[in-house]
Amino acid sequence: MDILQIENVSKSFANHKALDDVSLTIPQGSIYGFLGPNGAGKTTLLRIINRITAPDSGRVLFDGHPITADDIYSIGYMPEERGLYKKMKVGEQAIFFARLKGLTHSEATKRLKEWFDKFQISDWWNRSVDELSKGMAQKVQFITTILHSPKLLIFDEPFSGFDPINANLLKSEILELRDKGATIIFSTHNMSSVEEICDHITLINKSRNILSGNVKEIRHRHGANTFELDYRGDEATLLGAIGNRCEIMESNPSLTGYSSIKIHIADDAQLRSVISAANESVNLRSFRELIPSMNDIFIRAVNGTL
Amino acid sequence: MKSKIGIIIGREFNERVRKKSFIITTLLTPLLMIALMVAPALIMSYSGGETKQIAVVDESGIVAPKLQSNEELQFQTLDIPLDAVRKLPADAYFAILHIGSDILSNPTAARLYTNSPGGISTETNICSQIESIIEAEKLKMYNIENLPQILAQIETKIALQSFKNDSDSTDDKQADQASSSIVATVIAYVLSFMLYMFLIIYGAMVMQSVIEEKNNRVLEVMVSSVRPFQMMLGKILGVASVAVVQILIWLVIIFVAGYFLVPSLLPDDITAALVMMQQGAEAGSVAPDADIDLLQALLTLTDVGYLMKICATLLLFMVGGFLLYAAMFAAAGSAVDNAQDAQQLQLPITLPIILSLIIMVTVINDPTSPIAFWCSMFPLTSPIVMMARIPYDIPAWEIIVSLLLLYATFAVTVWGAAKIYRVGILMHGKKPSFKELWRWMRYK
Repeated sequence: MDILQIENVSKSFANHKALDDVSLTIPQGSIYGFLGPNGAGKTTLLRIINRITAPDSGRVLFDGHPITADDIYSIGYMPEERGLYKKMKVGEQAIFFARLKGLTHSEATKRLKEWFDKFQISDWWNRSVDELSKGMAQKVQFITTILHSPKLLIFDEPFSGFDPINANLLKSEILELRDKGATIIFSTHNMSSVEEICDHITLINKSRNILSGNVKEIRHRHGANTFELDYRGDEATLLGAIGNRCEIMESNPSLTGYSSIKIHIADDAQLRSVISAANESVNLRSFRELIPSMNDIFIRAVNGTL
Repeated sequence: MKSKIGIIIGREFNERVRKKSFIITTLLTPLLMIALMVAPALIMSYSGGETKQIAVVDESGIVAPKLQSNEELQFQTLDIPLDAVRKLPADAYFAILHIGSDILSNPTAARLYTNSPGGISTETNICSQIESIIEAEKLKMYNIENLPQILAQIETKIALQSFKNDSDSTDDKQADQASSSIVATVIAYVLSFMLYMFLIIYGAMVMQSVIEEKNNRVLEVMVSSVRPFQMMLGKILGVASVAVVQILIWLVIIFVAGYFLVPSLLPDDITAALVMMQQGAEAGSVAPDADIDLLQALLTLTDVGYLMKICATLLLFMVGGFLLYAAMFAAAGSAVDNAQDAQQLQLPITLPIILSLIIMVTVINDPTSPIAFWCSMFPLTSPIVMMARIPYDIPAWEIIVSLLLLYATFAVTVWGAAKIYRVGILMHGKKPSFKELWRWMRYK
């Protein structure tokens, strides 16, 4: 089941095209990453999903139907630039945003107290926002984003500005929300977080969707059949055994006994014979595929060398 | 949709009304206004207590015997030469008045030597006394019989009472009685100035707060749950309700103060005459000695129907004018990133407001002139100009048409402003030109 389908969406501004015929689908219950260089059109796409701006052409389906004004009650959005009223008290402000998302005053207060307890920030309730540090304000913003238990959560650059401890807290909260059934979209430049928590990604460059799919699948697809072997034994024996079955890319013999070698294999049939030949000649400690990091894929995709 | 605008109005209203500055200005402004009105009277009555001694050296012998001492000035004729008088100690007399022997033919022959700075009222008083003495002396030269009696008989003071020429209500004297035009002028000035201040101050407040929200990026969070149109309207209505509350508090303070204070300040005979006039008596018959202008002014000010009409139209025009201008101020605020950039966009908006104030002055001179009529119909100038006309009892249909035009224009303006606002709040960086604003209005 796909919670969100984006079909051939295009959007132009005065002198440039922000999105050019972008299509993608976001499966229910997934954590979906929007990647792309600055100015690629990510924020415009997020705004279209949030119904902040309308596409020039194409359509957005939410839960199988064209998205309507009422669907925003099922969406929570945390923009890249956090925005809170500086002079307002934290608690009052959180209630205000919750009410705009359709919660009643008493329900909002009840849920907020729970979350403030959970994040151990209950004593901030009556402080005004300009007394809070940036990280503190972001925690408040995060709570206001998720308070109305939306089905779909959208974070624009959620980790920017968080210290590692709070970034971890945020990460575990995101995973917990996913486990409870929410679907999460976030846009980011932070590739390690993509590898860690994203199931699916879409890479947007120059207003177009240039790469979409499951993270593991993408990384393996672009793995280029490169493998690394760790072994104990004689380098020459190993090279003699597998040298005619694969291409040796790099060999790092070691005097301490643990050596490694990088090889390239043409196809899966060869893989098995390389493994068995290597196993015969040396003590094989590990054998693993070298899959590119999302960072490599990102850079190669943007440069057009993928 | 309604409830969301309600939530936003509530926030805007609460945030502003709870501010200390709001409470202070709301309570202090009427006090300040009362102080400004009462202070001169108080100062006059206290400073008048001291009587100034004036020594008079009259070489002509005509003026001195006829100078009349009063609470302010005490004249004392001295038969010693001027030089000797001027050598007296400084604290003996406040001033020395010297009248030359040729005063009848030479108007500059009167001189005042003061030991301490003299006030303008002292000089005016002396001057007018000498003038009437000399005029009387000159009249005497024509040898007219019974001159003092004739003069006393011909002395007249005209009090022009204005009536509205309304054939429908010939029976009812009270309905004929037109408002005192002095009071109308004062009310017209005060109301249109008040409206001017409100449009400028509260309009700028809307713009400022949009710029602030845009810079805070609060708007980005808001637009994911509220439509920009609702946000804008909520803000405008929220600020408008603050303005209305402030005006209502002022009106209540003024009326309560007026109700309890004014009767206790007035002399009893004036109060009695006023009560009789309210019951329909002619001003001249109830108090032949009293100042009829004053009575008429008081009558207008105590006419509840007249005051209610003015307050009701004031609120309607204030809210309508504010909504219209606030929509434009909000659009201007949404298009820029800071107050400096806003100035250029602000200018064309404030121009009609300033223009209306200039027109208002000519309107007060002639409330029915074509320029007064058309400017009180044109929505951008009508709130201020119409407010200057209403105290003069203009036809009801003009007020109604003007209000309809004003609110209709607001509806169109808010629609256009919302289109700019919707694009503007998400745009950062370069300040847009008017051409770009026009293009924003046509975005999908």
